[in-house]
Amino acid sequence: MDVVVEQRTVTTVVRITGSVDGLTADALLSALQAQIEAGNTRLIADLSGVSYTSSAGLRALLATVKQARSAGGDFRLASVMPPVHKVLEMSGFTTILKLYPDVELAVASFPA
Amino acid sequence: MSASVPARKRVALVIGAGSVKCAAALGLWKVLRREGIDVDMLVGCSGGSIYAACMALGYDADETEAMTLALWNRDVTKRRDYRSMLGAFLPKLFRFRGHVGMVHDAPLNAALRTGFGERRFADVVRPLYVVATELATGHQATLSDGSIVDAVRASIAIPYIWAPWEVDGRLMLDGCLSDPLPVDVAIKEGADVILAMGFESPYPRRIRSATSYAFHVNSIYTNNLFRANYSFHNLAHHAEILPIVPEFGEPVNLFDTHKFAHVIACGARAAEEQLPYLRQLLALPAPSDAGAAGVR
Repeated sequence: MDVVVEQRTVTTVVRITGSVDGLTADALLSALQAQIEAGNTRLIADLSGVSYTSSAGLRALLATVKQARSAGGDFRLASVMPPVHKVLEMSGFTTILKLYPDVELAVASFPA
Repeated sequence: MSASVPARKRVALVIGAGSVKCAAALGLWKVLRREGIDVDMLVGCSGGSIYAACMALGYDADETEAMTLALWNRDVTKRRDYRSMLGAFLPKLFRFRGHVGMVHDAPLNAALRTGFGERRFADVVRPLYVVATELATGHQATLSDGSIVDAVRASIAIPYIWAPWEVDGRLMLDGCLSDPLPVDVAIKEGADVILAMGFESPYPRRIRSATSYAFHVNSIYTNNLFRANYSFHNLAHHAEILPIVPEFGEPVNLFDTHKFAHVIACGARAAEEQLPYLRQLLALPAPSDAGAAGVR
């Protein structure tokens, strides 16, 4: 799994590539938490390069959204691939997370 | 000083409610057998309990397919239970029994006995847990001893279609009413890696009868319960739950047994998609290192 961080004006886009699972969840969580701890609490995960997630991956996403919201920001998902979307939907995550069809819409969803 | 050896991960296969769709578990099972991956326990709910029981008893995939084709067909629903229906609509005259089933269960019970005979949980080669729902309390019931026929019959007691079934003095209904994909049972029994094959109930395009309306409403309840439970189990588990959700590409309804081959193939495909990660999780050698795998 690869994580590339791109700083925008008021948001931080984290482009994730690979699987978000038990083998990669800890590294992903560390990378996302580092952004929040650095004050980048308006986080967007670009999931266009993620085709698989498991329960460990879901737990990392949930921990991040809770931490971002506690810090006054939010963690939003963009370009979610169908297999990942299905798992998010099955596990109730689509009811608590904001999802956008692409990164630009997710960026625009945060007030300037 | 000896290096500590990581404990072997305990693998569970959980097969959720889904009527004919549960045959997809056979596709998954074939892939696991081909790869030499065994499971430490099987958990089944409703239609999934039939397949979990077959696998736990050591039936092979072809045997299980033949058995379920004989079991799961329209013959088991042909005979109406007029006594039960009269009791429901004229309770004083025909003495209402406290529950109702529109379909007489004698053909179903006979088919289950043909498939499982007198086998008991004590006869399984892999631990088996069958999930039903207690009528009196609504609680999930995990059945793990006694007669396999009784447990499966209880687990598939679809509300209004078949009467509940008594197990150990308690009337039981379909497990999908409390736990449509019983991942929690696998967690409780100590599984690390949980292969969770689950299905949501399809909604009919049009509601043409009271029965179809009842099915539709029932599907709303159980689909929402499926998601709520799955969400909690995902967060509660200490290790991995691998969702194995076959895409059928077309509706598969309650008695579409003519779609068995397609359903099994979809199950195998969904399993193949999980295989690389499963191999990593279980620290199994990559296929090229393992030599030629025998395909049954």
